[in-house]
Amino acid sequence: MKTAWMVLLYLFIFGLSLYFYSTQLNGPTADLHQRLLPVEIKTIKAGMSEDELQKIVEDAKQGGDTLSIAGMQHSQGGQTVYPDGIMIDMKPYNQIIEVNEEKKTVMVQSGATWANIQEAINPYGLSLKVSQSQNIFTIGGSLSVNAHGLDIRNGSLADTVVSMRLMNADGEILQLSPQENTELFYAALGGYGLFGIILDVTLQLTDDELYETDTARMTYSDYPSYFKQHVQKNPDAKMHLARISIAPESFMKDMYAITYKTASDQGQLSAYQELKTENLVAVPKFFLGLSRINEAGKDSFWNAQKTYTKQIDGNLVSRNNVMRSDSEFMEYDNSRKTEILQEYFVPVDQFEDYIPEMKAVLEAHPDFNLLNVTIRYVEQNEKAVLSYAKEDMFSLVLLVNQGTDAESIEKTQQVVREMIDVTLAHNGSYYLPYFGYPTKAQMQAAYPKTEEFFELKDRLDPEHRFMNLFYEEYRP
Amino acid sequence: MNYKRFIYYQGTIGMASSMIFPFYILLIKNVGNSYAQFGWAYGLFALTAALCYPLIGKYADHVGDKTLLAVYSWGMAILLLFFPLASEVWHVYILQVFMGMLGAVQKNSEKTVLARYVTKEIAGTQIGRYHVWTSVATAVAVIATGYLIDFLTIASIFYVASLVFAWSGMLLLKLNMPEPQQ
Ligand SMILES: Cc1cc2nc3c(=O)[nH]c(=O)nc-3n(C[C@H](O)[C@H](O)[C@H](O)COP(=O)(O)OP(=O)(O)OC[C@H]3O[C@@H](n4cnc5c(N)ncnc54)[C@H](O)[C@@H]3O)c2cc1C
Repeated sequence: MKTAWMVLLYLFIFGLSLYFYSTQLNGPTADLHQRLLPVEIKTIKAGMSEDELQKIVEDAKQGGDTLSIAGMQHSQGGQTVYPDGIMIDMKPYNQIIEVNEEKKTVMVQSGATWANIQEAINPYGLSLKVSQSQNIFTIGGSLSVNAHGLDIRNGSLADTVVSMRLMNADGEILQLSPQENTELFYAALGGYGLFGIILDVTLQLTDDELYETDTARMTYSDYPSYFKQHVQKNPDAKMHLARISIAPESFMKDMYAITYKTASDQGQLSAYQELKTENLVAVPKFFLGLSRINEAGKDSFWNAQKTYTKQIDGNLVSRNNVMRSDSEFMEYDNSRKTEILQEYFVPVDQFEDYIPEMKAVLEAHPDFNLLNVTIRYVEQNEKAVLSYAKEDMFSLVLLVNQGTDAESIEKTQQVVREMIDVTLAHNGSYYLPYFGYPTKAQMQAAYPKTEEFFELKDRLDPEHRFMNLFYEEYRP
Repeated sequence: MNYKRFIYYQGTIGMASSMIFPFYILLIKNVGNSYAQFGWAYGLFALTAALCYPLIGKYADHVGDKTLLAVYSWGMAILLLFFPLASEVWHVYILQVFMGMLGAVQKNSEKTVLARYVTKEIAGTQIGRYHVWTSVATAVAVIATGYLIDFLTIASIFYVASLVFAWSGMLLLKLNMPEPQQ
């Protein structure tokens, strides 16, 4: 009968819809890390003024609501969201309050991005001491993950904070610095938004400087000694990065390094000081696109990278411009779609043994689509409770192209866990702002103070006003 | 009585559509992000409805109210299954066009049924009673959904509403209506 057919057809479409809906939820399409985490956000309130923020916190307290804090939301493991909670969008809270030329400091509201600060301080010939390689992140988000970048001389980002103000779960505003409220200070730095809202921050700056680009090629086993000899020991070397090949021909063997050294003639600085804007991302983007497709593409991407690196040897560039890298911006552009990041830290002296073991893991999983590995240096620094730099470390940032279905996610998880096991076996650690692939046990091994961190959270915010999925997943 | 069944039917679809409407806005908000897009989404809905009325009016007298109501019920049941999948503004636009068509079908049929079955002398009382019950059903649905949504996701509201529409389609089977006069 007609109706029976109708009912059958309906049930069929119902089933199809459910199927697509659930795979869409499991699978990242537009925004990988967001889609992987099905959460609803009840309200998004732009935190414009201190009073308004205070009101949000007080209302939440009264209504028993949970708050999560968001900057640019480039973290990929649900650090800015909580189911059914209220997400506070800090982006509109972005004034540059003061640039102090004499003391070389800048005071900013936490929703400002590094780009905002650079524009404000560049005219004074000042520069940030530490930031990520790109300048797209907010200060609040960067402090809350205790970010690191290309600079090798200024310690960690936490070291550059002169002081900051934080609004706690009771809506009180506290002054934090290495001298004041230190416990909270070192918990909030790398605190993933769990200890309160960072309001404004005073950062120590340094002088903008003219650098000469110095590039070199080597195999991985020569890299640690190259780094120690030519970079660490050379007082002129200020910023550094390297890449290791992911191309089949030279997989996990060939490397090139880029070091920015103080140029001998600083008189030319003014000619290079203008902040550059994005240029020609299309070319690297094209090669990255090729490398996503197949092995031959990876070879040509690696060759293009090498050629490019050779070309920039000897180039002059200002410190501020090094800190707004565009070649990496393109990496981000893709990572938003179907690409995820991973970052592992391994002690400098372990590097030579570590790489072959990583290589073995990767070769055992030929489907794992690795697109790029960037290597940087982080100096030992254990001030933050969740500190990843237990010794002087090399950090490896992996850009991975990942399938969107449940099965691919499962596969990536397996490879990630294996890689972290290898990393841990070499006294390494991993970076926390990325997707929650690692196990709880792996976090505890990488961060010996994990338990202390969560206990501190429970003590300072017993009602769990500030929450996110990271807490939910990794609370021991 | 037939008339009671019709009220029951209208109450059911009233419930289903009021379940989704307040939350439907949330969906558009997630998908679109400007007032202009809001405007377009609702404008398209109204515009397609306007274009469809003349056609539907003619058809109503040919194929009969019951068939049109069935088209509406099953149409909505199926259409709602696409809402959870919408992720782009243009998806919402397309859905709105279909919503506009089906909405016109329902509005027109509701009135033709009333026109055909209401006794002229007591039309006021009858239509009044009709509105009481359909409004009560609507109110109950909106309030209940408000609570439900705390436990379910927005997507599941669409699935539940779709099932209610399918159920209303089944209700139509029991509704006896005279065949259309040619
Ligand atoms: C393409 C790409 C490249 C990256 N490169 C680097 C790199 O070179 N070096 C590096 O160290 N990291 C890097 N990261 C990681 C990045 O530094 C972190 O994800 C950082 O947190 C992003 O800043 P955000 O403004 O997007 O913060 P969000 O993701 O919005 O927030 C991060 C955390 O900070 C909290 N938070 C944000 N604002 C505040 C506030 N005002 N008060 C309190 N808590 C707050 C949030 O609750 C959340 O837990 C990279 C990430 C991507 C996607």
